[in-house]
Amino acid sequence: MRTLIRAIAVVFVLTMPLPPLAAQTQPRQQEEFTPIDQLPPQEQLPAAPLLVGAYAFVLLMLFGYLVMVSRRLSAIQAEVNRLDADLKRAGKG
Amino acid sequence: MPKWFQPTTLLCAALFAISPFVIANAPYESTMGLVQKVFYYHMPSAWVFLTASVICGSASARFLATGNPRHDRTALAAAEMAVLFGLLTLVTGPLWARKAWGTWWIWDARITSSLVGWMIAWAYLILRQYGGPGSEKLAAGLALFGTANVPFIYVSVNYWRTIHPATTVVPKLPFSMGFPLLFCLAAFYLLMFLLMKLRTRVAEQQARLDAIYLSLDEQA
Repeated sequence: MRTLIRAIAVVFVLTMPLPPLAAQTQPRQQEEFTPIDQLPPQEQLPAAPLLVGAYAFVLLMLFGYLVMVSRRLSAIQAEVNRLDADLKRAGKG
Repeated sequence: MPKWFQPTTLLCAALFAISPFVIANAPYESTMGLVQKVFYYHMPSAWVFLTASVICGSASARFLATGNPRHDRTALAAAEMAVLFGLLTLVTGPLWARKAWGTWWIWDARITSSLVGWMIAWAYLILRQYGGPGSEKLAAGLALFGTANVPFIYVSVNYWRTIHPATTVVPKLPFSMGFPLLFCLAAFYLLMFLLMKLRTRVAEQQARLDAIYLSLDEQA
């Protein structure tokens, strides 16, 4: 009798429907693969960060180089002026 | 600096400030969409990179022929332009390719030869910096190879299998896409001219400084 009750319980558990949460998370079984030409919008790589990144990189590098060369020029010109003044003073003395 | 330098710099800054609006008004390309707009900074960078490589090579050839240090200073400034604009080309290209081709980098003839050209410009600068006395002439010889590489970079897309757009794309551009490109080309070429002038001035002042130190050593 006990064995019969156990067997009925097992059959009942196995045949009872799955809880709704599990049914929602489990993907549907695919029966065929359907090719498409384009990815759906939510799957596509966004273009805007790449575009903005490219423009930002160009402008930052150009500005950085401009600042670097300007500072080099200012430093060299200051040194040339200082040495010129020293030479003139030494010539007078 | 000459009197025209400041107004020309302001003009160049204005061109760069307006360029995003001009580019934003350009139409989208049918297959690539928004990311194709990288083109308006990528191609001018590439053209300036190639032009700077040619200037570096021709000035180096004149330096080797005449020994005039003015040509050497021009070659040095042009080599720095080639490194700077080559870097911009080699960074903006992959950012465009990631979306358009689905990959950051492919070893096709144009990209590989551009990388080689950029490395030659770097080698020129490294040789000038660390080569010691007489390195100007060695570097000038190297610059000739950089120039010889330029036509190969340009025509490579027509002769080797690649997904890079062909050289026929630019002449066939409609006005709505051609105008923003010309606008950006003007801005980039003007910037290259101004930066070269600035860099040449640095080299001139450095030569003057060296001459002053030399005369001080002779006096002492």
